[in-house]
Amino acid sequence: MMKNNLAMTKNVKGSETKQFIVLSAVLFLLWVLLSGKMEAKLLGMGLAASLFSAWITMSLLRIPSVDRKSVYVAFDFPYVKYIVYWFWLFKEIVKANIDIAKVVLNPKLPINPQIVTFRRPMDNPLAHVTLANSITLTPGTVTVDVEGDLYVIHALTDGAAEGLEGGEGEMMKRVCALFNEEAPKGEEAKENHG
Amino acid sequence: MEIIAGIFLIAGLFLLFVAAIGILRLPDFYSRLHASGLSETLGMVLCFIGLIIYEGFTFTSVKLLIIALFFFLANPIGTHVISRAAYRSGLKPWTRKGD
Repeated sequence: MMKNNLAMTKNVKGSETKQFIVLSAVLFLLWVLLSGKMEAKLLGMGLAASLFSAWITMSLLRIPSVDRKSVYVAFDFPYVKYIVYWFWLFKEIVKANIDIAKVVLNPKLPINPQIVTFRRPMDNPLAHVTLANSITLTPGTVTVDVEGDLYVIHALTDGAAEGLEGGEGEMMKRVCALFNEEAPKGEEAKENHG
Repeated sequence: MEIIAGIFLIAGLFLLFVAAIGILRLPDFYSRLHASGLSETLGMVLCFIGLIIYEGFTFTSVKLLIIALFFFLANPIGTHVISRAAYRSGLKPWTRKGD
């Protein structure tokens, strides 16, 4: 119960009640969709299982912030904005896919692999997860390492590297807006180890 | 409907094919990860869209959709873990200048 004490002493960001309700609802929906049966006994079992799972994972879903001063509730984020973001991301993925397919099929193979590093200070670890995942999902860029707020990214072409804009691209701005993070204040480290 | 589903499947399979070519053509481990990214994002999604259209609106197509979503969440984690392991064990990326 260390984790519980941890949460008591620090300030908790996000509502655990909201998380509990949403998580149980999502789990129950998943149960119904996967079983496909509408018998009262099975639905009751599903409801009990999803409530129990949401309750027992509550302490696991308190994630300490990057500066270790507060604790975030993992499943309390703006859901609608998050889905809108994924639609936008999907559009970007399609564009990047076509670009990389062209590069691969080009007989000259116009690649220029490079490591791009930048800093993007964000407090919520979920924002870091979303950003790193988005970068990896977009073909042409792979998040190699994230240490604190330092992103090490391998880019396949010059175009893909420029798309990151040294941590100031549209993707980063959107992720920041999504999690209500402040925009970083100067001192971005943009280094290209060609 | 079957024709539309077929078009999506063929587009997806074409991307998988391009990804395979990319894995063979690109010079080193890190750049090959990008090629595999083709197959695991748009290629996979196009195949799943084709299958969902073929299946119509049933429980099976909802399950296919859930699989596609899971793919999208789990895939970058796998790619990231592999590339980070390579990076931390000191594998240097291939570059034009060092050639």
